[in-house]
Amino acid sequence: MSTLPERPPGAKRLGLVIDLDTCVGCHACAVNCKEWNTGGEAGILPDYDKYGPEPDGVWFNRIHSYETEEGGCSRTVNFPRSCLHCEDPLCVTVCPTGASYKRAEDGIVLVDTDKCIGCQLCSWACPYGARELDEKAGVMRKCTLCVDRIYDESVPQEERVPACVATCPSRARHFGDLADPESEVSKLVRERGGADLLPGLGYRPTNKYLPPRRARIPTAPAKPPAPGAKGIGAALLGLLDKALSR
Amino acid sequence: MKPAASVLLLTTSTGFGFGLLAWLGAYAALGLLPRAPVLVAAGIVIALIFTSTGLIASMFHLERKERAWRAFTQWRSSWLSREGVAAVLTYPVAIAFGVAFWRGGPPLATRLLGAATLLASLGTVYCTAMIYASLKPIRQWHNAHTAPDYLLYAVFSGAVLFATLRTAALGEPGAMASAAAAAAAAAALLAKRAYWRHIDAQAPLATLAAAIGLPQGIEARPLDAPHFSENYILRQMGFAVARRHAAKLRSLALLIGFALPLALSVLGALAPAPMLATTLALACAALGLALERWLFFAEATHVSALYYGRRI
Repeated sequence: MSTLPERPPGAKRLGLVIDLDTCVGCHACAVNCKEWNTGGEAGILPDYDKYGPEPDGVWFNRIHSYETEEGGCSRTVNFPRSCLHCEDPLCVTVCPTGASYKRAEDGIVLVDTDKCIGCQLCSWACPYGARELDEKAGVMRKCTLCVDRIYDESVPQEERVPACVATCPSRARHFGDLADPESEVSKLVRERGGADLLPGLGYRPTNKYLPPRRARIPTAPAKPPAPGAKGIGAALLGLLDKALSR
Repeated sequence: MKPAASVLLLTTSTGFGFGLLAWLGAYAALGLLPRAPVLVAAGIVIALIFTSTGLIASMFHLERKERAWRAFTQWRSSWLSREGVAAVLTYPVAIAFGVAFWRGGPPLATRLLGAATLLASLGTVYCTAMIYASLKPIRQWHNAHTAPDYLLYAVFSGAVLFATLRTAALGEPGAMASAAAAAAAAAALLAKRAYWRHIDAQAPLATLAAAIGLPQGIEARPLDAPHFSENYILRQMGFAVARRHAAKLRSLALLIGFALPLALSVLGALAPAPMLATTLALACAALGLALERWLFFAEATHVSALYYGRRI
């Protein structure tokens, strides 16, 4: 159903909290996501022109790197981008077939690829660019929050987390119930000022991003070298410098 | 946004078809249709050919055409689903109206069926417009212009098509049909200029910093992209048209799509060769509206392109 479900009281809001302070931009989460979702229970994610000049394919997770500037200094911010499992997902309500749906019990947004007609309207409705068309199967694909893994009782309890979280070497990705104010992820959001992406658009994303910590030590911006002094003395020194530099 | 041929043909061709049905229905409801059953019957058949062409073209936008029937199920939430349902419901109404007129049925029933055809046709065009107007990540579509503009362009294209058909059936477009086509062309021209002024004055929907959740007062710029060749998101959402090209195409669309049909509609009523004038007006409107619709897509920017450092 493309209409949004009635969320029962006490329903979970499973999602990710991503720490932009500690993410090192290694792409391990994207690689493990691709591996799990290609080899796991959910099926295959295609690649086109794999070894050619224009390699392309479907990924649920894309890692961007940005440069930010504050107080004259710049720093790198690595930013993993995937489905945020929004509370008001326009991608779901625009779906004409009911292939896109939001689960009542945990809020995960999924695509039933047996119903999808590949009209791609959902990808236009998502401001985060989280949905990618599988050009081989002709259906839309997106992050499943590893729904085939987090509930699988044959997987050891500690591994029942999304593949991206399980693999992150800098522990920048956290998984949990954001509806529970006492969960570890909710505490992190409170303590670190976790933010919604594009809050002005009103999608109410479940996933939160922890902003990079502010530097506590003064870091002066690099100064350009002072221009050389003028006069006959400076010209002679310049000649000397040239001669010695030869 | 990438202008796909299937979607351009869908929106322009259904505009002509449903626009013509709307005029036939409106004239019938008001008792203003000339007593020429051939005009109405041929009009409805031609209108349905236009709408069917558009709807079949839209099928080519679907990756899994064999499942298209599923698109009729989610009318509670989806404008795309509503468009499909409304389009299919319009067919029996329009056909019943045509049969009633052809057979010389009871005047009240014919008038009511005409009014129903008018409402169903414009309702379908409204659903099409709302598919675009409801997409919040695209500022050029999610605004108060999109829905009224689509209705206006359908009314305009239908008026030009009706004037041509009336000339073919009765030898002259008639003062009313010519005036309607000219007035609709003028209104459509003004609406298009107002739309362009509106989108040119809009600020971008968001900054890159807001898109990656940074606190206010910090600026961000792209450093490394996630991948080094184009992906689906960039092909669909990252499509951009150069500004100087867009400016030229806008002028061409105004001239061919609206100004020439306006002048030719007036000529059709006054000049000795009305068939030539109305046919030329129709050809210009079709070409101009296709160009206008291409720009509607090509000039639209999507918030997600921000992540790749594109202008939105």
